Amino acid sequence: MEVQGYGMTQTKSTPAAGHFKRNPPIAGEADALERAKNGDPDAFSKLYALHKRRVYTLCLRMLGNVSEAEDMTQEAFLHLYRKLGSFRGESAFSTWLHRLTVNLVLMHLRKKGLQLVSLEETINPSEEDAPKRDFGSRDPRLSGSVERVALERAVSTLPPGYRLVFVLHDVEGYEHNEIAGMLECSTGNSKSQLHKARLKLREILRQNDQAATLQEAK
Amino acid sequence: MANEPKRWTCEEFEKALPDLFENAQGGKLSADPQFADILRDCPQAAELVRDLEYIAETARLLLEPEVDAPSSDLWQKIERELGDAPGSPVQ
Repeated sequence: MEVQGYGMTQTKSTPAAGHFKRNPPIAGEADALERAKNGDPDAFSKLYALHKRRVYTLCLRMLGNVSEAEDMTQEAFLHLYRKLGSFRGESAFSTWLHRLTVNLVLMHLRKKGLQLVSLEETINPSEEDAPKRDFGSRDPRLSGSVERVALERAVSTLPPGYRLVFVLHDVEGYEHNEIAGMLECSTGNSKSQLHKARLKLREILRQNDQAATLQEAK
Repeated sequence: MANEPKRWTCEEFEKALPDLFENAQGGKLSADPQFADILRDCPQAAELVRDLEYIAETARLLLEPEVDAPSSDLWQKIERELGDAPGSPVQ
């Protein structure tokens, strides 16, 4: 399985936006990396311990499914093991591993034959999934108290194609041109899907907000 | 002749939002004076922009910390797989 063909270059995979802190220095990582490259199993175990949450969370957000996220986490670390020797330190290790994981998940999704990677689903979402075009009507505002947990939950209910673009852009900080390259679509398409994803999230969050308000009123 | 700021209608503004957000400084349309008029004249637009900015800002908080973790036996599975690999040091 060749993952690097999906644009996994060390120089290109820098995080997009400056405010995203994807690569804080991790104590002991450099040492573990060197030792793992030389075949030290304990060092590889340390790399796993250092990065398992990040990799798993990324897989979970992209896939929205615990079992698949675990499988892809396993796949990512097995792949990492095989490819570790090709890491030359031209980018932060966490960036490199992040990109490797994104590419594996995208490949997995393509293999599953879902249209989400070509974004067909989000170009023509089902009636039910499409964000409502309610721009002209007055709606209750988001309360301003949407917590990250609520957003996380809402993201997990997004249609897969919307979720992918939203996670890659708004959470992970990739630029539209990078996403377009990964998903093999146009940058315009990526922008449009992101916007629809945000509209859909707004709709979900407002519904949840209203439900909570009704519940409190009872 | 100095460039007049574009006069938007609500519909035009909505249609242009994906691009406008992409080009906005720090993703913040609401802080850009060139959109002050439309945001003042079109409350629905102002509300939408405010909500979408809020969603995008909150999304950044999802990056860290990672609260989810794989099951505790995943490492054993990986070790087993590595152990089966030819030439693996994890035997």
